[in-house]
Amino acid sequence: MSPVTPTHNDDLVLLGREPISADALVRHVRQSHDGAVVTFDGCVRNHSRGRATLYLEYESYESMAFEKMKEIAASLHTLFAIDSVAIAHRLGRLEIGETSVFIAVSAPHRKAAFEACRHAIDTLKKTVPIWKKEFFADGAIWADGELPPVPAATPAAKPAS
Amino acid sequence: MQARVLFFGKLKEIAGAPERSVEFRPGETIAELFERCASQKPELAAFRSSVVASRNQEFAPWTTVLASGDEVAFLPPVSGG
Repeated sequence: MSPVTPTHNDDLVLLGREPISADALVRHVRQSHDGAVVTFDGCVRNHSRGRATLYLEYESYESMAFEKMKEIAASLHTLFAIDSVAIAHRLGRLEIGETSVFIAVSAPHRKAAFEACRHAIDTLKKTVPIWKKEFFADGAIWADGELPPVPAATPAAKPAS
Repeated sequence: MQARVLFFGKLKEIAGAPERSVEFRPGETIAELFERCASQKPELAAFRSSVVASRNQEFAPWTTVLASGDEVAFLPPVSGG
């Protein structure tokens, strides 16, 4: 998957169309000074609100989404006593059972790794501009989502000109 | 002055295109830019309260004053994960 950008320490952030290699992400964050790796594997479910899902399609505002994912990874280091982070999100058509998002967090101790991984997926679902379309036998709908928080207006929000 | 306007998700389907260039006057805000888009595609107007905007890839309030060359996106509720 690309692009591949090292952020904090050995963090890894991926956004692309190729299948996600969970093993590679876990290997990436797991170092000899870690005592825990916590992962979140978000996968495509075969039903939504009582209807049978055929497949999903993800699209994103790619450049902004990639930056927002990097911001999440960076924020985990300030909020939790963790070692490193790997976050990958897939785009395009995904079949039932495939991984759409995978997060791996390593830490010396498990508590921080659990909390950071939970924070990462919760924040991703609220702030990263990615959209999911659900396809059913009788049609397709854009999934309900969350409206990202927007900073309050400030006088400084004027252009330099 | 001109802005590059991007639409995503459901909004892209309603706008009929993923992006377009929109002319605006100096001092106009993101809210006014949205109104210009909605005047061309009236179905967009109904989504005003259920989208957020970004300016140059940062979430931005509707009152943000635009500069020429800005990239503005109208973003429906996000549903990644």
